[in-house]
Amino acid sequence: MSASIEYYCPCLAASPHPPPPHLASSSYSFHPLHNLYFCEECDAVRCNRCVLVEVSGYFCPNCLFEVPSASVRAEKNRCARNCFNCPICRNTLSVVASDPEGNEGRMSPIVSNTLGEPPFFLFCNNCRWDSAEIGITFEKPTGLAAQLQKFEDSAPDALEFEHLKEHFEPYLRASSSALPTTTAHSHHHVNPITAAASSALARDVPGVGKYNPLTRSRVGRDKNAGKQEIPDYNSRVEIGTLGALGAGGGDSDVEFMRRLEDMAEVAALEQRWVNSWTASLRSSDLKPLRIPLQVKKSKRCPACRHILIKPEQKSQSTRYKIKLVAANYLPAIHVSLPHAIAAMELMKRSPSLNKSLSSVVDDPSVTGLMPGKTYAFHLAFTNPLYDPIQVRLKKVQPKPMVNTDEDHDKPRRVPFQVSLPTAAIGIAAFAEAWEYEDDEEDMFGLEEDDLDMDAHGGTGKDGRGKTRTVGVIERRANTTVISGEVILTKEARGNVRFNMLVSYTYRSDDPEPPEENEDGTPSRSHAAPKAPEMKNFSFYTVVDLGPVVRREESRSEYDA
Amino acid sequence: MNTPIYYQRGEYIETDTGNKVSRRAAISGPQNIILGGKTIISSNAIIRGDLRRTGPGHAVVISLGRYCLVGEGCIMRPPYKTYRGVFNYYPMKIGDNVHIGANSIVEAATIGNYVEIGKNCIIGKFVIIKDCAKIADDTIIPPNTVVPALTLFAGNPGQIVEDLPETMQEMVEAQTKQYYTRFQPYPN
Repeated sequence: MSASIEYYCPCLAASPHPPPPHLASSSYSFHPLHNLYFCEECDAVRCNRCVLVEVSGYFCPNCLFEVPSASVRAEKNRCARNCFNCPICRNTLSVVASDPEGNEGRMSPIVSNTLGEPPFFLFCNNCRWDSAEIGITFEKPTGLAAQLQKFEDSAPDALEFEHLKEHFEPYLRASSSALPTTTAHSHHHVNPITAAASSALARDVPGVGKYNPLTRSRVGRDKNAGKQEIPDYNSRVEIGTLGALGAGGGDSDVEFMRRLEDMAEVAALEQRWVNSWTASLRSSDLKPLRIPLQVKKSKRCPACRHILIKPEQKSQSTRYKIKLVAANYLPAIHVSLPHAIAAMELMKRSPSLNKSLSSVVDDPSVTGLMPGKTYAFHLAFTNPLYDPIQVRLKKVQPKPMVNTDEDHDKPRRVPFQVSLPTAAIGIAAFAEAWEYEDDEEDMFGLEEDDLDMDAHGGTGKDGRGKTRTVGVIERRANTTVISGEVILTKEARGNVRFNMLVSYTYRSDDPEPPEENEDGTPSRSHAAPKAPEMKNFSFYTVVDLGPVVRREESRSEYDA
Repeated sequence: MNTPIYYQRGEYIETDTGNKVSRRAAISGPQNIILGGKTIISSNAIIRGDLRRTGPGHAVVISLGRYCLVGEGCIMRPPYKTYRGVFNYYPMKIGDNVHIGANSIVEAATIGNYVEIGKNCIIGKFVIIKDCAKIADDTIIPPNTVVPALTLFAGNPGQIVEDLPETMQEMVEAQTKQYYTRFQPYPN
C-alpha cells in the first residue's frame, strides 16, 4: 500500500509540536509504531534516537557463542573461536581439510571438517577464496583464531598501538586515582559492562585535553603544566619505513600498478577499510578477519532512566524480561485508500483469474491520487488496551498555531484539504478472545450509544450531499474504522502528507492498568470503587496518502 | 488491511488442519513432508520431499510449522553433503509463522519461527536462520551461513544490515495470521 502512517517522537525538537511533514528533515522525527517505546514513568513515547542503549551481552553472530565480557577485550571484540570473514567478500569462511581423495575435491563446497588431513585452510563458499593462496594453513582444525590472533598481535600497527597504550598507561592510572570521576553519579544504576566502557571513553587524559573548541586555547595553557610530565612519545616504526613493511605507499605501489593485469589484484577500499593503518593495495595481502562480535542491547528512558527493553541473557532468545513498546499502549492506526483497493480488485479480476493472485499489485498509477479530485481515506484504529478508549482526531495545519478552529482558517498555499471526524470515536477494549473470533459481532457489550453517527457531523455541513464520507464506518472487535476526506487542488503534486494529532482517553483505575503512572496513590484509591478516572494521552502522527500522479500518465495506465 | 486475497476454489486443496496446497505446486514425496496446519503452498512451488536420507524406515525430509507461506515459484530442497565419503540429504526444518517470498530457493537446514524471507532469494545449503530474522528481497545467503535472531540480512553475499525492532515477533505473527485469513476462495 502506498498510504502509511508514522508516529512522532518529540525528542529532536524543543516544542511538543511536530515539524511540518513537507520538510525532508521531518522524517527523522517520525517512526513506525513498532519501532517506538513507551516509558510508563514519564508517560511519553521514546524512539531509538533518544533511548540510552547499554550492552547487555556479547555474542558471535556466526557461532552464537555468548562471550563473557571479561574476555571481550582480550579478544579485541572479535570471535576467538573458528569464525572468520572472507577478506574479499565478507562471507563466512569454512575450515577445509586437504582432501585425501585428490586435488579435485579440494575446491568442493561440500566439505566436512571432521575428516581429512592437514594442512587445513579456510575456504570461502561464495567467492572461492582460500587461505592457502596467501600461505595461511593450519596443522589442526581447532583454535584457529588463537593462531591467527598471534599474527594480528604481532602486526606493526597492533604493536604500535600497544606501545602507545603502555606509554600513556602510568599517566592514566595516576590521573584516574587522583581525579574524582566526574561521570560517576550518572552511573549509579548502569550495568558494569557499560560503566566500564563509558568511563574508559570519558576518562580525562592529562596533557591531551578534551576537545572543546570554545575553550581550547585556555585549556591548552592550563594543561601545559601537565604536558611537561609526559615525555615525548617515540614511535616504534619510523613513518618513512612503512613502505618497507608492506604497508603500501610510495614506489612499490607504482611498480605494482604498472604490472597490474587484473582489477581484482587491487584490494578495494571496502576491503582495506578495517585496517588501522594504510594497508597494502594488493588483494593478495588481505588476511581473513575474525568475525566482529554483536551485542544484545538493553534500552533506558533518557529522562527517568527506567528500563524500557531488557533482553534475556541467551543470545538467540527473542524474549525480553522487560519490554515497554509503544505498540502496547498507543492505538495502532492503519491507513488505506478505498479507491486504490477497488482499483486493484478490478485489475485482479479483469484478466484471467489464474494470474498471480497472491501478489498484491502496488502500482502508483493505480493507487495514486489525481489532482483536482476528492478522495476518501480510511483510518483503522486498533486498541491494544484492556479498556475501551475514546479517540479524538485533529488535523494539524502546517503553520504552528493554536489548535482551536483551524477549519475556518485555511492556509492559501496548501495543495489539499483534509476533513476528519471531530467527535470522539469509541474503540472497544482488546480481549484475547477476539483472536479466535471469526464472526465479528458486538458480543462483548459494545454500547450502542457509541455508535451514533454524530462523528461525521463536524464537516458534514459542507459535504455537498455526501454525508457519510466522514465518520465512523465500521466497528469490529477492538478495531474501529473511520473515514476522512481529502480534497486535492488542481496544482497538487508530491506526496499528500499531513500531521494529525490523536488524543485518546482511557480508564486508569483498572486492577492492573497498563498505565497507572502519574496517578497519585490517594486519587487512585478513592477512584477505584466507582467513578472510573479517565486519563488523556495525545500523540502526533504523520499520515502519508501516497503520491499525486499526473493526469496524463495515469490515464494511459488505466486504459492499458 | 483486511482485503481478501482470492483464489479460485478449485485451485487449492484444503486439508483438515487448514493447510492450503495449490494443485499446481509440484510436491514430490508428500509422505516425507509435514505441514503444521494453516500453511499455504502457492502455485508453481516445488517441494522436494523425495530427496530423503538413505537408509530404511520413515524419514521426515521437510517440515513446516503453522501459518507458513511458500510463495509462488519457490523451490524447497533439502541440503546435502558428502560426510565420511557418503553422500546424503539432510532434513530441513522450518518453524511457525515463516513467510517465503515468490521465486526464492531454499536449501536451509533450519529456519526458526517468525522468519520473513523476501522474493528471489537464494538460501544456501545448511544455512541456519534463527527466530525473528528477516532476509531482504534478492538476497543470496551462501552455504553454511548463520543468520542470528532479530537481524536483517541483505546483499550478495548476505550480510547483517541492521537489528530488527523488539516487536518483530508480534508483527510477523499478526501479519502471517492475517495473511492466512485473507487468503480465501473466490466467492461465487
